[in-house]
Amino acid sequence: MPESDAQKITRRRLFKLGGGAATGVAAAAAVSGLGTRSGEHDLRVNAAGLQRWGRDAGQWVPSCCNMCGGQCGIMVHVVDGIVEKIEPNNWNPNNYTNISTDWFDGYTDEHGCKEGAVICPKGNAGVMALYDPDRVKTPLKRTNPDKSIGADPRWQEISWDQALDEIAAKLKALRDSGEAHKLIWFSEDHSFTHPQMDFCTLFGTPNYSNHANLCDVSRKASFRTILGDDRPLADFIQSKYIMLFGWNPTSAIKWVHLPRIITRAIEHGARLVVVDPYLSDTAAKAQEWVPIRPGTDGAFALALAHVIIRDRLYDREFVEKWTVGFDRFADYVKDKTPAWAETITSIPAATTERLARELATTKPALVDVWSGPGQHSNGVQGGRAIGLLNALIGTIDAPGGMINPDKAKTKHNAPQPDDTAAETLKQPRFDERSKYPLSHSSGIYAQSFVNLAEDKGPYKPKIGVIVFQNPMMAVPGSQTVAKALAKLETLVVIDTMLSETAMLADYVLPGTVYLERYDINAHWVTWPAIGLRQPVVKPLFGQPAEYETVAALGRRLGLKDKSGKEFFRIGAISGQPVEDLTAWYEEYLSAELKGGSPGITLEEFKKLPGAVWVDRKGTRYRKYADTIPADQLTGAFYDGDRAANGTVVYDKPPQAGGKPIGVVVDGAVRKGFNTPSRRVEFYAKSLEGKVDALGNPVDPLPVYVPRDWQPDEQYPLYLINWKEASHTHSRTFNNPWLLHLKSENPLIIHPDTAARFGLKDGDEVIIESPYGSTRGKIKATRRMHPEVVGLQHGFGHWAGGRNAVGRGTADAGLRPTRADPLSGQAIHKQTCVTLRKA
Amino acid sequence: MPDAATEPSTPAPAGELPDVSRRDVVARLLKLGAVSLAAALASGASLAPLLHVASAAEPGKKRKRRYGMVIDTRRCVGCDACVAACKAENKTPPGVSYTIVLEQGLGERPDDRPLFLTKPCFQCEHPPCVPVCPVGATFKRSQDGIVVVDYDRCIGCRYCIVACPYQARFSDFGEDYPAVEEHTPWASVPSPEYKQFRVRGKGKSPEGNVRKCTFCLHLQDENGEYDRASGRWPACAKTCTGKAIHFGDLNDPDSEVSQLLKERQAIRLKEELGTEPNVYYLL
Repeated sequence: MPESDAQKITRRRLFKLGGGAATGVAAAAAVSGLGTRSGEHDLRVNAAGLQRWGRDAGQWVPSCCNMCGGQCGIMVHVVDGIVEKIEPNNWNPNNYTNISTDWFDGYTDEHGCKEGAVICPKGNAGVMALYDPDRVKTPLKRTNPDKSIGADPRWQEISWDQALDEIAAKLKALRDSGEAHKLIWFSEDHSFTHPQMDFCTLFGTPNYSNHANLCDVSRKASFRTILGDDRPLADFIQSKYIMLFGWNPTSAIKWVHLPRIITRAIEHGARLVVVDPYLSDTAAKAQEWVPIRPGTDGAFALALAHVIIRDRLYDREFVEKWTVGFDRFADYVKDKTPAWAETITSIPAATTERLARELATTKPALVDVWSGPGQHSNGVQGGRAIGLLNALIGTIDAPGGMINPDKAKTKHNAPQPDDTAAETLKQPRFDERSKYPLSHSSGIYAQSFVNLAEDKGPYKPKIGVIVFQNPMMAVPGSQTVAKALAKLETLVVIDTMLSETAMLADYVLPGTVYLERYDINAHWVTWPAIGLRQPVVKPLFGQPAEYETVAALGRRLGLKDKSGKEFFRIGAISGQPVEDLTAWYEEYLSAELKGGSPGITLEEFKKLPGAVWVDRKGTRYRKYADTIPADQLTGAFYDGDRAANGTVVYDKPPQAGGKPIGVVVDGAVRKGFNTPSRRVEFYAKSLEGKVDALGNPVDPLPVYVPRDWQPDEQYPLYLINWKEASHTHSRTFNNPWLLHLKSENPLIIHPDTAARFGLKDGDEVIIESPYGSTRGKIKATRRMHPEVVGLQHGFGHWAGGRNAVGRGTADAGLRPTRADPLSGQAIHKQTCVTLRKA
Repeated sequence: MPDAATEPSTPAPAGELPDVSRRDVVARLLKLGAVSLAAALASGASLAPLLHVASAAEPGKKRKRRYGMVIDTRRCVGCDACVAACKAENKTPPGVSYTIVLEQGLGERPDDRPLFLTKPCFQCEHPPCVPVCPVGATFKRSQDGIVVVDYDRCIGCRYCIVACPYQARFSDFGEDYPAVEEHTPWASVPSPEYKQFRVRGKGKSPEGNVRKCTFCLHLQDENGEYDRASGRWPACAKTCTGKAIHFGDLNDPDSEVSQLLKERQAIRLKEELGTEPNVYYLL
């Protein structure tokens, strides 16, 4: 019964006017019980519909989500080849907890975990990504040479054969001319990365990069330096005191188990303290929010350490046996008093004194940090100072502390390059990764794009491939990225959507949504667990999955490994040619699973409950204290007194290429930590004499150095950004269900600050930095530090689908394209801006 | 740029902020938070909810079951997974969202800290929405207390929308998401509501009807029972990332929801209206 707009409006207005009175009348009627059930009758049931579409119809296929990088388990209801609904996978620990005792408590193979697993809003909204009518459906070729932002690419639809033939021809020409290294390749991580890496190896380019350096490689560098593990995980549920720096786990929800284990910890009496310039949704669950100036977290952590050491509240046994460099560190923090920190951080000294005491005397406690402090120019050292608080309180790898996870392994059967490829693989990486002393294998996007844009770097790349990524919004400095991409002779983008980056490409190839493809996901829980992503429907447009596209290109190029085997055609297990691309990849995956922790084939894996492999051995604590069996010590080299605490043990003499394998503690050779000293390092000797990418010496102590851009008269406000549960990166903004949850990203500002700028809640503003300006709408709330403004990242699209365009504010254009000079982390949070009324 | 003549605001936001304790929340909600909460919920009426120490099973009810929810605000992280799961389950169109998450500032605090509150239909004991229906299309089921809408009878007059003091009813104006509008495979997927499996179509119910949360009653078996283990459970409760939404039979003294009401203090919104919601909040 559609009605005209005029009718609609009239009736709406009528209801609005009469609303209050009618409510009163109705309520009175209800209380008197008049006619409450007068109209009860049977509702008709559609038995045929139930049989066709009900929960018992069709199949429930276990898989893994990829709406974000969390890779949680899902169960997908498929009816007649159509995805009807996505639900949580009760057999996947990633959807429930990160501690095995919690997982196995009440677990059954029949029903999975006791309370049932969960998925986040994005996971629930996956069908809208799959059935997005704006998806790229067919290969597209650019016919307009103008690659400026906003230019119409004048796409020409072409066949897959034409697209692959033309791209392969360009790649072949590059390789044949001895310039294979001039191919640069960027990919989302987690998924389908191994075949892409293999392609780059066999093609002969060292320039494979992926997502992580846009995300948390700063945190990785910090923790790797102090305790030898890229990604320790917080054991929230068993903790009694949780201090988080710049992390929003109950809202950003990297893994969907986080809201449960954090709120459960609080329920069990834990105190949650959140240090953040913004009262994030996680801080909303905390007993205490500690507002801090952006980029000063390291100073605050040092002041906490100062109090803990000054008052001798630290875990002396742990520090003495399991750390190195404590004396130098203690000496360094001697003058890092709470009063010193107050002027830097804006946190009152009395607060620091109290929090330090609470942290050191409540057991067990943990301190964790993520991208808030990490995405500044001083992020790595700040992260070290924060992470080292865990060493002072002695809870590293202990229940309720920061756990070094036992990771599940899959075996990447990486091919050896042939002689042609080996030659160009000798070339340096275009992103100059070697200049970054604590870099990550994911590379340095910021350096790549700056080099390209400014014609710098060791050579001039000619072809770029970007897989399921949108650097135009994801890398700071959109203008630089656009300039860089335009310099490439050929840019190929594989994506599901016509993103801002795809709009600058020469070829766009349709990618797959995760429901259309395979992947293996080693889950981020504290003991080994692996989940399988599998195609629950065929790719909607008959397109190959990303790994198949890569393999198809590899076949067209005839890429061979060192032994002369045509890698992308020969089955990884059978050694026989496998023509079907999907079958070829299934064998590839099967080999990875068979050779990894699960030790079973893909077909066997699919039959596991929930298609998840979970190690029954569970979480192990204090693994650093494990003794090394005597039979593994034959031929070992002791770098000092065999009985003295701290003597590092090598598998063979260092001169003969020996590697540290353990450390003597309490009279036994123990595994220790994966650092050069095999202990937790307050002072990292390995950094002595190192210089960062800017040529500055690197301090082996976790020193506080102010970030290198502070507010001034012209740009007086810090600008930060963050993630929330409603969206991922810049890629969920055409999803109408998620836009229903969050349709715009107002610029959050303290009301006093707004008043200072003559602004009030809801005002449209121009946000301006030295690098660009953009429009926003302010939301005034005391949830924000008065010197700071901030917004949720990912909005402000000018491409990417009908719903995405023109919504909210993009922040990448306000920044320079910069990486942290130690780790190569893209610096997303270091911007200063001014505001004026639009 | 700020006006140079303007007195700069005192920075130092980092003062010692008071803790949020349970007592705080209750006190604030009762004292003034609830007024604004009520304001957010009601169309015009400013009414304060009263603290209600619930008795799980109210004697004298003939009904076999009384399905209800006990929502633990301490566990709710405001992620909106319930809202998305509800859409995924019921296939509701734009503008129709059976559950929402309110974000209510706790007024007196200096930091505008929000309280998250997920709000489905309360399936009131005395639902004000029912008696106003001129055609008997909406009623409270005697077997389980769920308030339903018969799309075949509903004329879309929306009196019930006005009558609901909790804004739990929505008009289906016939808008569609692009996946439906553009006839993707998704357009053929029906909504399982009421086990009626209606496919979206112009001029076809429930377009033009009033719609509301049904506690996903289509997931009940023939005996009117839900089963969490097999996934036949209200979608919002099933997906809740903080496990904040407890669901069950309030007439069963052994149910989780009844037990929680015995052990913990709970409130219902706008208690003074006498609607007797079957959704309780733990603070």
